[in-house]
Amino acid sequence: MIVKSETIRSPQVGVECTHCGLPVPLQFVAANQEEQFCCHGCETAFRILEEFDGFDPEFLEQSRSATKKRTEPQNYGHLDHPAYQEKYVREVSPGLLRAKFLLGGVHCASCLFVIEKLPEFLSGVVTTRMNLTAMTVTIEWDTAKTRLSQIADTLDRLGYPPFPPLADKRENLEQAESHRQLIRLAIAGACAGNTMLVAVALYFGWFTGMSDDFLLLFRWTSAGLAAISLAWPGSVFFRGAWQAIRTRTSHMDLPVALGLSAGAVMGFANTILQRGEIYFDSLTVLVFLLLVGRHIQYGQQRKAIRHVSLLHAMLPHAVTRLVAPEPDAGTQSVPIEAIQPGDWIYIRAGDVIPVDGILVSGSTLVDLSILTGESCGVEARKGDRVYSGSTNISSSILVETTLVGTDTRIGKICELVDEEIRSRTPIVQFANRIGNYFVGIVLILAAMTVAIWMSSGLEIAINHAMALLIVACPCALGLATPFSVAFAQGRAAARGILVKSGEVFESLARPGMIWLDKTGTLTEGRMRLIEFIGDHSIQPVIELLERQTVHPIAAALISNMQVAELDRFPQSALSDFIVIPGIGVQAIVDRQLIQIGSEKLLDQSSTIIASNFHASLQHFNHRGLTTVLVIRNHEVVAVAALGDQIRSDTKATIEALSRLGWRVGILSGDQQQVACHVGQEIGIERQNILGNLTPEQKLAVIQNSSSSQTVVMVGDGVNDSAALAAASVGIAVKGGAEASLKAANVYLSRDGVQSILDAIQGSRQTLRTIHTTFAISLCYNALAVMLAMAGLINPILAAILMPVSSLSVLAVAASNTAFRNKITPKQATS
Amino acid sequence: MSVIYIALPIALFMATLAVAGFVWSVREGQLDDLQTPAVRILEDDRVKAKR
Repeated sequence: MIVKSETIRSPQVGVECTHCGLPVPLQFVAANQEEQFCCHGCETAFRILEEFDGFDPEFLEQSRSATKKRTEPQNYGHLDHPAYQEKYVREVSPGLLRAKFLLGGVHCASCLFVIEKLPEFLSGVVTTRMNLTAMTVTIEWDTAKTRLSQIADTLDRLGYPPFPPLADKRENLEQAESHRQLIRLAIAGACAGNTMLVAVALYFGWFTGMSDDFLLLFRWTSAGLAAISLAWPGSVFFRGAWQAIRTRTSHMDLPVALGLSAGAVMGFANTILQRGEIYFDSLTVLVFLLLVGRHIQYGQQRKAIRHVSLLHAMLPHAVTRLVAPEPDAGTQSVPIEAIQPGDWIYIRAGDVIPVDGILVSGSTLVDLSILTGESCGVEARKGDRVYSGSTNISSSILVETTLVGTDTRIGKICELVDEEIRSRTPIVQFANRIGNYFVGIVLILAAMTVAIWMSSGLEIAINHAMALLIVACPCALGLATPFSVAFAQGRAAARGILVKSGEVFESLARPGMIWLDKTGTLTEGRMRLIEFIGDHSIQPVIELLERQTVHPIAAALISNMQVAELDRFPQSALSDFIVIPGIGVQAIVDRQLIQIGSEKLLDQSSTIIASNFHASLQHFNHRGLTTVLVIRNHEVVAVAALGDQIRSDTKATIEALSRLGWRVGILSGDQQQVACHVGQEIGIERQNILGNLTPEQKLAVIQNSSSSQTVVMVGDGVNDSAALAAASVGIAVKGGAEASLKAANVYLSRDGVQSILDAIQGSRQTLRTIHTTFAISLCYNALAVMLAMAGLINPILAAILMPVSSLSVLAVAASNTAFRNKITPKQATS
Repeated sequence: MSVIYIALPIALFMATLAVAGFVWSVREGQLDDLQTPAVRILEDDRVKAKR
């Protein structure tokens, strides 16, 4: 008889945080609990508000230990090492030191609340200042009262593992660039504002008449302000244009620089000669608005890149090295950089392996999912190779280092990613493509203007041509893309979709081929109990046995089992517990021999299996599930099937995608059979399901895809990163390794594939908005050019036309509805 | 109207002061993080009793 377990409750998709209401990342969802928290900060803050009239450090410890996943705490002893102190710690005043950390797990305002309370429960810490944007904390402490390692340890126990800050150099460079941009903006803004004020006076004078003295004063004042604006903040456009000319590429800076220099030449000439028109107000406003657009663009890019910088979390920074290559030698904690090939290192259960090496002592299970995407642990024994980046699951081991740093397998993959990013030709932005034609057309039109007006004299002809060059300067065109992209990026980010650059919108708007990674993208990325056949009364026994190990299958097996506290066996009921490597566990409970493990247990001749169990075993194997047998006194009494469950929203999303014209396929490192089963269940054509792929093969599939259409890769592991970088759009899905974000253009912080659909819908909308803004600004330019050719442009008309065109472009960009409404798969195509 | 000869330089001087102030605040790092200060104000000095 097949009994479907009804006691398994899987957490719903889209759980909201009890404290702050933000969506809870799937790895934080606590099964079968009322209260759900998106981060440690929220949980702590919630408990404090609920239970206590104050901040009780002891309570904090308790709540932390309950949620702590790590089996052994990380050792931060290396932070007190003089080498680290020299690199990252600064002395503020005698006895007072300052250091910065990059924090993992920071999520919302509650995290700030908890972290900035650090001085209240760790004496010696003077101040903690958190930066939510950069996810960093700056700590000042009294050397007499506490040590840096102790602070780091406390932060870790709070749920925010600290890492050394980003290479200070890059951070400083970025900061300096941002500062330069802001200062340029300020100067351009001040010049523009004041030139406008002077211009108002000039315009009134134009209507009512003005004495020559004042006219001269005002014209020279605006000339001076414009000179500052063009020479300092405006110089970026001239530099950009010069670069474009030198490399013979088209760039938006080229037409902008052309218009600016025409205006400047004409303006200064007319000021000195005291005749004709000056266009300084239009020029300075132009410089200011274009710089605003540029700054917004830069800010968005920087924000997206920052979220990626937690890559640091991937490899441990401190390693326990044995002083000599022999099992009984003493240990020391050293920074990872100090490890040389040949060194023996000690790796605790639960730690990430920092080097490639050979196991010299102990045996353990290794989680290779970061390299292969394979969701279950792999047995490693003496003499086996272990790879950096993988996690040591079950017991402590000694490893002899063979390769370090960039020579390791993960290092090679990272290099591959860098190469892909470098070799990819950047998609030339629409605006830049237009810019090319623009320069040509405007120059031809200017020449025509000169020809037409030649009959009225050279001076008038050149005046009109110059006026044309100024009004044709594509201010709105330069603003359109950055603004539309910035608005869309900002709104997408609020919905958990981080977009690195604007090109993504362009690529995603047209349908093409979309490749999905299976583990973690289509499925939840971790094993859980799917079916349990047999007598449920055996479950407490299973729970007792599997509690003894940390094997991932054991954890999956008992995680969904509801064993009432009363039914639980005491530890004393268990005797003769042994782990059969690679097969399972065995023990004696209540004088009965219990064995739990894989099908290999059937190889023992004494085992009896009933035909219905045998049938269901084959059924499960066919479905690609992992099976576990429970054997009592040599008779099979239960069969459990474990698998990686398909996310509930997957099928509807895939259907919506194909209705939009996308072809969908699966690239998986898992077995073909498993990939096929998952693919068929969600309606993907068989020929597009590729299993058993190594990272290199995935890359090859992407590279061989037709280059004429958009190729999207959706994945989450380090194993996908090269493929993510090679695709026209790489979408990294949270829940997997942070490293894939280095290569991807889009990062989805919400689980499931629904966000992919969102991103595609939003991109279509955004591209439409960009095209609309282009159409509007081109209309304005066409109108202005016609007026200029007819000799009708005067400074007032120019001063009105230019801001009006810019403002209408801004209004259209801001009214973009992309990422604003909730899109369900059903509505997506209607 | 010759007051303009004095008023205009004064106006420009004031604008320069404003720019200088802004530049100072940028260099000081006041515009580096626009998110945290907005959230920090939500923090109470002392946690209140049960809700």
